Amino acid sequence: MKNQKTILLVDDDVDFLFQMKLQLERFGFKVFTADSQREAEEFIKTFKPDLAIFDLMMENEDSGFILCYKMKRLYPDVPIVLATAVSAETGLLFGLDSDEEKRWIKADLYLEKGIRPDQLQREIYKLLKL
Amino acid sequence: MEFSIEVNNRKIQARKGDTILETLTQNGIKIPRLCSVKSLSPTGACRICVVEVEGMKNLVASCSYPVSEGMVIHTHSPRVLKARKVLVELLLSNHPDDCLYCERNGNCELQDLSYELNVRERRITGVKSKLKLDLSGPCIVRDSSKCILCGRCVRVCDEIQSVSTFEFINRGSKTRIGTSMNRDLNFSNCIGCGQCILTCPTKALHEQSSLDRLQTELYNNKQQKVIQLDPAIMASIGEEFGVKPGKEIEGKLVASLRKIGFNYVFSTSFAADMVLMECAAELKQRMETKENLPLISSFCPAWVKYAEQFYPELLPHLSKVKSPALMLGSITKSYFANTIGVKQADILSVVATPCLARKFESQRIEMTRNGISDVDIVLTTRELAHLIRIYGIDLQNIEPLLPDLPFRTSSSSGKLYANAGGFTEGVLRTLYYQTTGKEIPTTKIGELRSISGIKEYEQKIGKEQVKVVVSNGLTNINSLAKAIREGKLDAHFVEIVACQGGCVNGGGQPIGLSVKDKKMHAKSIYDIDDTEIMKAAHKNALLKDVYDKFSEVVGKKNVDILLYTRYTKRDVLR
Repeated sequence: MKNQKTILLVDDDVDFLFQMKLQLERFGFKVFTADSQREAEEFIKTFKPDLAIFDLMMENEDSGFILCYKMKRLYPDVPIVLATAVSAETGLLFGLDSDEEKRWIKADLYLEKGIRPDQLQREIYKLLKL
Repeated sequence: MEFSIEVNNRKIQARKGDTILETLTQNGIKIPRLCSVKSLSPTGACRICVVEVEGMKNLVASCSYPVSEGMVIHTHSPRVLKARKVLVELLLSNHPDDCLYCERNGNCELQDLSYELNVRERRITGVKSKLKLDLSGPCIVRDSSKCILCGRCVRVCDEIQSVSTFEFINRGSKTRIGTSMNRDLNFSNCIGCGQCILTCPTKALHEQSSLDRLQTELYNNKQQKVIQLDPAIMASIGEEFGVKPGKEIEGKLVASLRKIGFNYVFSTSFAADMVLMECAAELKQRMETKENLPLISSFCPAWVKYAEQFYPELLPHLSKVKSPALMLGSITKSYFANTIGVKQADILSVVATPCLARKFESQRIEMTRNGISDVDIVLTTRELAHLIRIYGIDLQNIEPLLPDLPFRTSSSSGKLYANAGGFTEGVLRTLYYQTTGKEIPTTKIGELRSISGIKEYEQKIGKEQVKVVVSNGLTNINSLAKAIREGKLDAHFVEIVACQGGCVNGGGQPIGLSVKDKKMHAKSIYDIDDTEIMKAAHKNALLKDVYDKFSEVVGKKNVDILLYTRYTKRDVLR
């Protein structure tokens, strides 16, 4: 298929990665996966995806934030989704609602894990302006 | 059968079949309670309502114990008072100690009880419950650590709403409230009506708030900020600020929202008129072709989700017209944006509504065009009241203003849909005109204004007897939906609203309203209808104006996409 959009998916939970990949491929995207911050960093050096979905806590507690930062420095125009279950597990609440948070979290969208497929599709379409 | 019993050395009359609590309440004796709610079945889970019955070894839970002849009851003996106090102390022992930061601070039944029963020290220290916070749902957030296991949400969801999202799981001290397979609320069959929030005594269930995002967006000068006000808000928000419900409060709200920083304030009722026009036309067309009858209303997002997950066979019957709030959202970002010469992306569309399920509806993929949602933020009545407080606006003394053109005025039927049965009244008025060219002889239909579960009415329009059925709440939905599915229901139009009484009792309304308050809110909507001259949607002159220019402004090919929606079967865990 021509013009197939590519998505980079990074998560250390292999089951989540597998399910998410299936889901995204069903929406018609080409999906590349990486299961660690290190692997993802190597990957983005050589390839520019159309959208990236990062988990927050991987080998480091703030892997997701670091990835977002590095990614935005390389490709400022690629939208990034930060998908995490950190709020549900730790009770820490944060989002991208205030300007202050937007300044230090370099993502375009913050998602709580446990998102419905139709919801995910809509959010991706919104970010890719499809 | 009546007999007498003795309570606190006083004889009182009791009826056979009543519970002890009912008898005591009827005789003006107040017993504290937590898990017992009048409209729900008794469970005796919390045991705060215990009383002492002579001749019985243990204290009995008065909410679930039937009264019998010759009973001698003590309601406030030292033994009872001590038991109640210990019960509350035990509930508090593992409750998070963050009352000052809690959304329900000042409006919490557990807090009230501990004050009433004079709990003054922490005698029992339990392990603080650290349970997962479920933020996944679009409408409802579940904070299980604040749950006191009263089971009111379980019963409301099952007995009143017929959804059964929640159930008790595990046993003993590990008991929790959980959804099917204990998955996140987002994957459950929750329809987002929010009745569980209204009944929850603590903050274990509360809404997904959008206030933080809104406050940031309000300072973004690049975009035009548009808010629309639902008619049901006018009935209830006055409660929070000590202003009488009714027409006057609309102007005050408009003025305060302009002060807060909204560029335009519209009235959702305008779009409701539009929905009524479209819906009446759709009904007329279906009555001619006799296809997919009865037509089922689709303005209630909770009901739409209910149908999508439980009765997908009924989806072809559902009206294709969008709900009023989303309709106004889409025409704001198309028609209105074009008239003022702003891009679709440069409008922030906010909806203030009593409906919690709107939060889910606004996130539906059908309500997004070119990657931009028609409605960006949905505020409930409670959040709107918060917003007004945050910005320090004196609602009582503010000078009222009119909503903005072009979506300013509406007929009173555009406001009636806030009450169950009101939408049908509006449809009948317009259908009568569209079919016969004359106005309907009787506008006020008493049969549709009663509070019964299923209401039926027949209206002669032209040569045909039009039969309408209104389901007030989802309590009797299963028998009704099955009848429609099997083709046994003899009706042309069916209105279904998820909350009992309609939008005025929606899940976003203030918490802790009495039955009397609710009645007054419904009445205030009917009062508007009584005093208004413009009673039907087709008489709305501004609407005619918009209709005339509509296809020209938005382009002919876009009309369908802006006004109509579609429904898909939804797989959820039941």
